[in-house]
Amino acid sequence: MKSRWLSPLIYLVCSLVGIVSLLYPFFLPQGTTGAQPGLQRSADMPLMLTVLLGLALLVLVYEVQGQAMNTKLIALLGVLVAINAALRFLEVAIPGPGGFSPVFFLIVLTGYVYGARFGFLMGVLTLLVSAILTGGVGPWLPSQMFTAGWVGMSAAILRPLLLGLHLKGQGEEIWILAGFGAFWGMMYGVIMNLWTWPFIAGPADQYWEYGVGIWETVQRYASYYLLTSLVWDIVRASGNFLLILGFGMPTLRTLRRFKQRFTFIYKPTPSPVAQSNLSG
Amino acid sequence: MSTQLHTWTWLTWLAATLVAISVTRNLFYLTLILLCLLVVYSFIEDANQRGAYPFSLLRFGILVSVLSMLFNMLISHFGETVFLTLPEEWPLIGGPYTLEALVYGLTNGLVLFGILIAFTDFNQAMPVRMLIRLIPRAFFPVAVVISIAVTFVPTTIRQFYQIKEAQMLRGQRMKSLRDWLPLVMPLLVGGLERALQLSEAMTARGFASAAPKGGNTAHRLAMVVSMLWVMAGWVVSTRAGWETLGLGLILAGALALLAALWWAGRQVPRTNYLKEKLRTGDAIVLMGIVVIGLALYFPFEWIDRSSLYYSVYPLLQWPDFDPWIGTALLGLGLPAYVIGLRKR
Repeated sequence: MKSRWLSPLIYLVCSLVGIVSLLYPFFLPQGTTGAQPGLQRSADMPLMLTVLLGLALLVLVYEVQGQAMNTKLIALLGVLVAINAALRFLEVAIPGPGGFSPVFFLIVLTGYVYGARFGFLMGVLTLLVSAILTGGVGPWLPSQMFTAGWVGMSAAILRPLLLGLHLKGQGEEIWILAGFGAFWGMMYGVIMNLWTWPFIAGPADQYWEYGVGIWETVQRYASYYLLTSLVWDIVRASGNFLLILGFGMPTLRTLRRFKQRFTFIYKPTPSPVAQSNLSG
Repeated sequence: MSTQLHTWTWLTWLAATLVAISVTRNLFYLTLILLCLLVVYSFIEDANQRGAYPFSLLRFGILVSVLSMLFNMLISHFGETVFLTLPEEWPLIGGPYTLEALVYGLTNGLVLFGILIAFTDFNQAMPVRMLIRLIPRAFFPVAVVISIAVTFVPTTIRQFYQIKEAQMLRGQRMKSLRDWLPLVMPLLVGGLERALQLSEAMTARGFASAAPKGGNTAHRLAMVVSMLWVMAGWVVSTRAGWETLGLGLILAGALALLAALWWAGRQVPRTNYLKEKLRTGDAIVLMGIVVIGLALYFPFEWIDRSSLYYSVYPLLQWPDFDPWIGTALLGLGLPAYVIGLRKR
């Protein structure tokens, strides 16, 4: 059975489940606001979201690992994740200002250089390993892993674009990557808030309420985001921008150099003795 | 393992705690759950040889609760018990301040604190190697990556400080962001060189040299179908309003997905050097969880389950308290009893 179509289908379905799970507060039907069932659903919805997101993540990771893994990539990914998790460990020990985090720098650049699957795994596993090491395993983890995975995966989209524009090794390449890092610095906050926002549901204009309709929900979320998270996320976005701008060029050169060393293919040819044994 | 409960017992306990926290907004029940979790935390910390948690959990909980309370009071002006009114024309903070908003914020803070402390208990009780062992067999490449990463993190941190010392000896000063470059680049290059050596060693020892047993198209197809099933259940539950049918579909899809992963994992041989055993302590904790499940979900006539769905709005009143539910929830503290018993 040909399975060429299966892989894109898995990416599509899982990403769709991930997006729908995160955006579920906006999709819920109108009309049950204030009722007792609405109150109950406020409590059980985040749990359902975590389960859905966790399942989609499992399938996506299973698919990606099967296609991207060989001994060299496993070792490379393991060590890069260790470096990134160590950076997160240092971040937990010495917290930076606002939402600043050094982990997105390597996720963006490895996704850009080594491709979408590698970038996705880099994002997912960095968050998982650092959570295991810093005691940060919690219901928020699937959302964090999924979002960080998207950061790494989407960085690969820039590669054909920048190569097509002949910007490889140019200053513009770093500026565009820095802008991309800043964009995800903001988006990471926007997406992660979607996990916590319904959980702290209440009656105020900035809180989620079951069944108030899509536009009302969007308005409430916008108010909530502007009030609580915008400044925090601007700091994260600026941090990503500055890190990529400052360290991006030498890091890209190093990653590209090692890419050549890691992508050799070893094809063993059977020795004459082994061949004669096989034929005999 | 110093806390000596089976990994699956801890996982079941964690799931039961999260369910208990999720189903109620009753302050009495939430306080009971939090007390149980704090007692378990203190016993784990006592039994653990890894030392205390890097920050004060209680202080953090108080901070979260107070902030949540104040934040909700400032921006939510619903409720009937008004104790202060600011001019309406003041943006955001103008309007009546109510006791209901204050208590609602406190409830949210307690729920968040409860989730945090439940996971802190779990993280403190479970050694890293046990967490890695939880990774299903189907994910063996990912498990190897995580094992490498967990092993290399201390080395990486050590190398970071060595590079820092070496650069300081050469007169390097940390004045601006660019001064970090001589620290970061050797760390990255050194790590990548180690990755090369590691991959050569793994190849030389025959890692992943065996051909996979059969194709995996059937597993992947089963997973896609299961995901679509889960998705359909979610749509039926939220859009069509058939909650029971939707939840049933989600549950069936999730089980089918887990079965497909288990099926895929069967293709991967695995050797266990340390097998955990279920003991009497595990049975005690699991029995407690069964009692909680019965109290929360089994339709006993003598249990008043409406007390779980307490709301402070529109007028603050004392929440009801069902002694059966309260007593059952105390079961979440049983790990502390088992750890204490073993210590004696």
